[in-house]
Amino acid sequence: MMGKTPYSRILVYLDGSEGSMTAAMYAILLASASKAKLHAVYVVNTKALGDLVRSRIFVDQEKNEFLEDLKKDAGRHIRHTERLAASKDVEITASALEGSPHKEIISYIKSNKIDLLVLGQVNAIRSRRDELTSENDRMLRTSPCPVVVVRDTDDSIWQQFEEV
Amino acid sequence: MAFLEAIDKDLIKVPMTARNGKEAVEELVALYGSKNGLLPSETNEIVSAIMERERLGSTAMENGIAIPHAKIEGLKNASVMIGISRLGIDFGGSDASSIFFLVLAPAENPAEHIQILSSIAKVCSSDLFVRMLRSSKTKDDVYQLFFE
Repeated sequence: MMGKTPYSRILVYLDGSEGSMTAAMYAILLASASKAKLHAVYVVNTKALGDLVRSRIFVDQEKNEFLEDLKKDAGRHIRHTERLAASKDVEITASALEGSPHKEIISYIKSNKIDLLVLGQVNAIRSRRDELTSENDRMLRTSPCPVVVVRDTDDSIWQQFEEV
Repeated sequence: MAFLEAIDKDLIKVPMTARNGKEAVEELVALYGSKNGLLPSETNEIVSAIMERERLGSTAMENGIAIPHAKIEGLKNASVMIGISRLGIDFGGSDASSIFFLVLAPAENPAEHIQILSSIAKVCSSDLFVRMLRSSKTKDDVYQLFFE
């Protein structure tokens, strides 16, 4: 086992937050150091969009606008992650999926034999209400593979990324 | 930023004194303006953005809850204002609205906007929670309901 890392396929989940970009940088550093294959996935949350229309919080026109906004956001974050990976000579498979984020990510992990999931910061537990559990929390709890949670307050990751 | 992180005790109003939908929006946006030191013209812009969205279709739900919202350019963090009206306010729904969640979210982060609205919708699907929220007498009661 000496010299061999316990993971060969890393997945980073992108959600459009600054925290997920820090997670992407950390995942790139991990992939570079371990020669693992890197995957990045952004999930356009069409499940939530549909729920918001059903509960009358969104009208159809607004849903369509947000769907476009989310697709653009996905494209922007995927392109940025690809550029970051290229800057460190790390090969990356990046894609945008649609659906319920935690379900899509768990399904992606299984179908692509991912053995490490990298997430941006999860929330502090401030409520016992299950309805308020975030997508990141759900992924952390249900992932079939080990999970690394990256704190977005950790400036050292940005520093490390610049230095490597 | 998640829904709970966008809740601030200073942005909760119990009871609301507004008599109509526009006043309800103004009353809640005033909390935000006061907390963030906005100029009257800035709060007016936010009110206009929300009322413009309402013209597309009311965000009043069937259970007396309204969730007016707007995406605001250049906003740093999302905010949720919560208001409870004793008498109920006509917000364009089939019943008067007595619980308001007013959501302001950065235009640059649509995913966050969706996540916050989705969390509100989920939490409001509990009849018990809605009853407790409606019977809250102070902003501390409201705050406590979310952070129990």
